[in-house]
Amino acid sequence: MSTTVAPAGPAQSVPPADQKQRKSSKRVALVILSRYGTLIGLGLMIIGFTIKAPTTFLTLPNFLNILNQSSLTAIIAAGLTMTLVVGEFDLSIGYVASFAGLLVVGFIARDGMPVLVGVPLVLLIGAVIGATNGILVTKVRINAVIATLGVGTVLVGLGFAYSAFPIAAGVPQEFIQIALSRLIFGVPNPIFIMLIVLAILWVVLNKTDLGQKMQAVGGNIEAARLSGIRVDRVKIFAFATAGVCAAITGTLLSSTLGSGTLAAADGYLLDAFAAVFLGSATLRDGEFHIVGTLVGVLIIAVGFNGLSIFGAPTWFQPIFKGAILILAVGLSTLARRYAKE
Amino acid sequence: MTTTDDAWLQIHGLSKQFGGAHALRDVDVDIHSGEVHGLVGANGAGKSTLIRCLAGVTAPDSGTITLAGEEISISSPRDAEKAGLAFIHQELNLVPHFTAIENILLGAPKEKRLGMIDWKRSRRLAREAADRIGVGFSLDRRVDELSVAEQWLVMISKALVRNSSMIAMDEPTASLSDQESNHLFRVTRDLAASGVAILYVSHRLDEVLELSDRITVFRDGRVTDRAVRGQLDKAGLIRAIVGQDVEKPSRERHSGVDRSATALFSARNVAGAPRVRDVSFELYRGEVLGIGGLVGAGRSELAKLAFGAGKLDGGEFQLAGKTLKPGSIPRAVASGVGLVPEERRSEGLMLDKSVAYNMNIAVLKQLRSVPSLPFVSGGKSRARAQRLIEQLSIKTPSPAQTIGSLSGGNQQKALIARWLTPDVKVLFFDEPSRGVDIGARHEIHEAIRSLAADGIGTIVISSDVEELAVLCDRIVVMCEGVVSGELVGDEISEKRIIELSYAHLQPAGSPEHPSTPDPLEGDVA
Repeated sequence: MSTTVAPAGPAQSVPPADQKQRKSSKRVALVILSRYGTLIGLGLMIIGFTIKAPTTFLTLPNFLNILNQSSLTAIIAAGLTMTLVVGEFDLSIGYVASFAGLLVVGFIARDGMPVLVGVPLVLLIGAVIGATNGILVTKVRINAVIATLGVGTVLVGLGFAYSAFPIAAGVPQEFIQIALSRLIFGVPNPIFIMLIVLAILWVVLNKTDLGQKMQAVGGNIEAARLSGIRVDRVKIFAFATAGVCAAITGTLLSSTLGSGTLAAADGYLLDAFAAVFLGSATLRDGEFHIVGTLVGVLIIAVGFNGLSIFGAPTWFQPIFKGAILILAVGLSTLARRYAKE
Repeated sequence: MTTTDDAWLQIHGLSKQFGGAHALRDVDVDIHSGEVHGLVGANGAGKSTLIRCLAGVTAPDSGTITLAGEEISISSPRDAEKAGLAFIHQELNLVPHFTAIENILLGAPKEKRLGMIDWKRSRRLAREAADRIGVGFSLDRRVDELSVAEQWLVMISKALVRNSSMIAMDEPTASLSDQESNHLFRVTRDLAASGVAILYVSHRLDEVLELSDRITVFRDGRVTDRAVRGQLDKAGLIRAIVGQDVEKPSRERHSGVDRSATALFSARNVAGAPRVRDVSFELYRGEVLGIGGLVGAGRSELAKLAFGAGKLDGGEFQLAGKTLKPGSIPRAVASGVGLVPEERRSEGLMLDKSVAYNMNIAVLKQLRSVPSLPFVSGGKSRARAQRLIEQLSIKTPSPAQTIGSLSGGNQQKALIARWLTPDVKVLFFDEPSRGVDIGARHEIHEAIRSLAADGIGTIVISSDVEELAVLCDRIVVMCEGVVSGELVGDEISEKRIIELSYAHLQPAGSPEHPSTPDPLEGDVA
């Protein structure tokens, strides 16, 4: 029975000016804080560090350093952003990055593959791993947290197995130069690679029909399905993108380190999550987006940079990281709640 | 109307309004201990609202509830439980992986000894309650392994353990076999004989007539008839449900519909779990086809089947003579089928996105800058949104406005706009004017009619018989998954739609509809 004949009150839509008047000033303040709080925080940090340490913090080399350190996190976090946009999770990205880092060094240094073959091959493997995550989540219907944690753990094992074979020859300079050289204006390559990856993902998300569909799937999956969107495919694509991005980060890390090291990139998982959630509370009301993710990454990088400039003890770093993650998710949740009210 | 003073539960002058609509208007109902009290009425007549008021889920605007001579206020489900009122809905509130006995005892006041729960005694009480209604299965079985009929018995036991003095049952036999129903009837009668009041809500009038000691009939939020056993027969009951004053002059209907041509869209013996059993209909160019029936008759499920959202177990849909491949929404959309779903917010809208986004999400390919490249043109998107906003006179400050801030009527129009493309051939509207105001409702009807006139097949599902009667050129009425009748042109009236909605309840061989002189022309299941 449909006894609830609840007409939605007056017919006319509420003009936005009218709406704003109804908001109490406290609410407006909260909205501003939740949308711009992260940017204000970033600004305050930069100002504070500049005042405290003008000669070390506010220098071009230090800025390039911060950006260079941010770029690997930004790439992997941008991939994670895609999965969060479609309303899923990916806990495997750190492991994918570590695994890709091992493989790429193995392929090039041990198996003698040319860089131009080895690197694309590893990115392809990243895509396949990501797509596997996506298929497990959509077709087999395993909860994303479990599926991606399981896949990630399998990759840890495979990494051990793969690294059991010694790498005889050294890593070729050609590979190391990917991350270390400064091809344009003396700016480190990873910064450019980051900008390219972020630009591509931004365009995909905002300018293509696929991106619009991704946002629809994340916004209301049932409505997306009933609009004729192939929800599963869209999700699998998002996971595959996250896999490729993780593989890029892993490759760049190995190039920076000059070796493939076990578990080298595992820690990126937490940074990426913190960055993406900080980003979702930046300029938007709890919506995941690429520009926000970049801001989130910068906040974390600037924070760390400041900590090391001021010689904070090592034990303080994980505390800072954990606090940022909680703060980020909290801000993002608050932003969403206030946007709804 | 009579109000006996000795009634155990007296409901007096109960009223409830939702927005401008009266769900209950000055309703009086008396319920006596030890009686089976039937509640009947069409969709939206007020039965559910009354039950929700008793259950403490909805607060009435005015009126009193008196229990054993004392006025009580029921402002929460807890109050209702304390007053001894139990409610069993179709979606049985059981924890699937708990055993029957765990479910029976869940939340019940536990027997305690020395401050500890006395499980032994609690179990014995549960067992006694189950024995009272002849539960033949082990109470240690998990509820999800039990049949629906057995789950009903668990729910009743649960009410008995709480010493409930009244049990309200909502459509108890909807998914039971005849044999299971008969058992439930026996249980119901025995309970009444032992002093429990049973509030029996059902669309199955034969059942209500057979079981009830007294019957209260609702229409448009009012009590329109009361009867004790034997006073009413089925014809009289239907008359009371339908009312005498609904024979309004129908609007001028399309005369230019050519029904000899190939149907624009048709269903042939369509069946699909859970509710659609055997449905056939044709839709011709230029007409608005209505699908009527009670909630639960399988109408929305039928639309979803045609839209590819559900597994077709038998039959087929044809679009302009060609069979539609079932089971895929993208394929249905590509063939030109669209659906404006029943639940606007949960099934239709991306609430925090813009009006334009919500309108364009199903047609992104057509809005590309270059057809072969996957880039959506912002200009084309805005232009399409702007054009449709004007065409359907959607009131929004701009296409970029967040759709969640629009009124229900304007949201609904935006959802209709989603499907308005050159490629669309058939559009299903599931409850198109639910929750919109009267002005928007009129505009939505105009829009649907003009789409039909443009040659788009329009199929309207509605529980609102007035809507069907004013909007449709032809109406197929469904009942428990089958077509119970079809009304064309001048045959259409609100009364006939309601009658057909109950048509399955006619025992085979009995006269069709004693309340109407003219025999039914359509086929009867």
